[in-house]
Amino acid sequence: MSQFLGPLDSSGRVPPHQQTRVASFLMSLHGALARQLAIALPGQLKAGWQTELNAQLHREAEIVSLLLRATTWVPDLALPWPALSWEAAWLPKPVEGVADVRDALAIDIAALGHAAHGVIRPAALLPVEAQAQDPFVMALRRIEFESGRLIQAQILFLKNDDLKPLRHAVSSAVETRHAQVRKLWTEMLDGIGVRRSDPTIG
Amino acid sequence: MPFLTLGSYRIRYELAGPANGPAYVLVNGLTQYAELWAAYRDALVAQRFRVATFDLLGQGASDKPSLFISQDDQVEALHLLIGELGNGPVFLSGISFGGLLALRYAIAHGERLAGLVPMSTFAELSPQLLLLGNALRTGLILGGTSYLQDLLLPMNLSDAWLKPLLKNLDAVKRQGWLVNDVYALQNLMESFLDFEPLTPKLSSISTPTMILNGEFDFLTPRALHETLRVHIPDSSLVIIPKAYHAFTLEKPALTADLLSRFAGDVLAGRWQGNKAIWIAPDEPGGAMIPFPAGHDHLRAIPASGTAT
Repeated sequence: MSQFLGPLDSSGRVPPHQQTRVASFLMSLHGALARQLAIALPGQLKAGWQTELNAQLHREAEIVSLLLRATTWVPDLALPWPALSWEAAWLPKPVEGVADVRDALAIDIAALGHAAHGVIRPAALLPVEAQAQDPFVMALRRIEFESGRLIQAQILFLKNDDLKPLRHAVSSAVETRHAQVRKLWTEMLDGIGVRRSDPTIG
Repeated sequence: MPFLTLGSYRIRYELAGPANGPAYVLVNGLTQYAELWAAYRDALVAQRFRVATFDLLGQGASDKPSLFISQDDQVEALHLLIGELGNGPVFLSGISFGGLLALRYAIAHGERLAGLVPMSTFAELSPQLLLLGNALRTGLILGGTSYLQDLLLPMNLSDAWLKPLLKNLDAVKRQGWLVNDVYALQNLMESFLDFEPLTPKLSSISTPTMILNGEFDFLTPRALHETLRVHIPDSSLVIIPKAYHAFTLEKPALTADLLSRFAGDVLAGRWQGNKAIWIAPDEPGGAMIPFPAGHDHLRAIPASGTAT
């Protein structure tokens, strides 16, 4: 087990089977977020922070599109089962302790987005020797870089004064999504021979 | 890797040195992690100190609360760690944000401390510090941890330290970038959103206190340390020559020597704070020099004036 992707080939590229598994996971998660955002966003925005969500919807779709094109894909016969479990995990779950169902769903989507953009550090998987100009390497760096901005929509919403009375339920929902995303991400990495020394990173 | 339990969170810590020795607890700055104290651990353990280091809540291998981190929780974590050290004398030192937490701890639990060493720190947010903090937070949001590091490195370290590393800065930044997450750093920064100045409470700190301030500290300049010196009764201000905000990274041998000498003086009953102002030596073991009488230590030029 290594802390990083690899061993790299002589050109500094990540092995295709690792690219395939990492990209599949990220496309599953960001694709789910794009779908959920597309449904949840109101036709007429009601608050300033929702402009961030509109941007996020398109960035999530961009991430899926980028990975589709930047990844060197290989057949992965072991992929269907974990992919199904990922898709099941991302399904919306109304947050407990929130009476309004629309709010409960919106908080869950934001919690999942916070986890996707906060917990997952795809660029931190890259060894220093990775070929900087390789499309997959660049895609992972770009996704991580964009995550720092995309998470702001979730932060603005989840820390919003309107949700102050629900702070316990909101914090609990975000921690639960963090734990879930971290667990699945770690398991996926384990499956391709990558083990982070610290389970809270990478 | 041992952990403390704070509610539902885990705090990663390390202890080194003899269990029966006086203890030094070292508190990280905002973007730091426990391993950055390695040189201090080695130097202080060689002087028979027990050394405790840890990652703050939201840093490194400690848990990272997803939305909110309160400074009260950080003080509680520090209290748990100090509780692990038995009943012997405990010296507490922290850099920058860690210095602020050390001050908070001394206000809340000063009776447990034998000595306090706030370094490159502050008790209140001056307009400059507030605006710099806001700008650094925006930098983190827009450019990530790496960009925040790009802002902090030239602000807080000297040309002499940076020059040989210019072609290898990515390697310098990499570990801090790996172990710290954007949202967690943002939460740490946002723990200042409801910050109340500590200044009115500083006079309650009866612990011997040595305040360390780099001569060229831009982020937390002399005036912020002066507030500590004026209000903490048994304190002295020590100016580190040719040093910037992050002198703990740049001058570990000198700083560890100052920490050791301070603790030695306190334990031997020699320490007298007297709100005095000193200039530290350039090298470990050198003599401390009283700040020249008749000059204003808050000025960068030798203007006449006296301490307030």
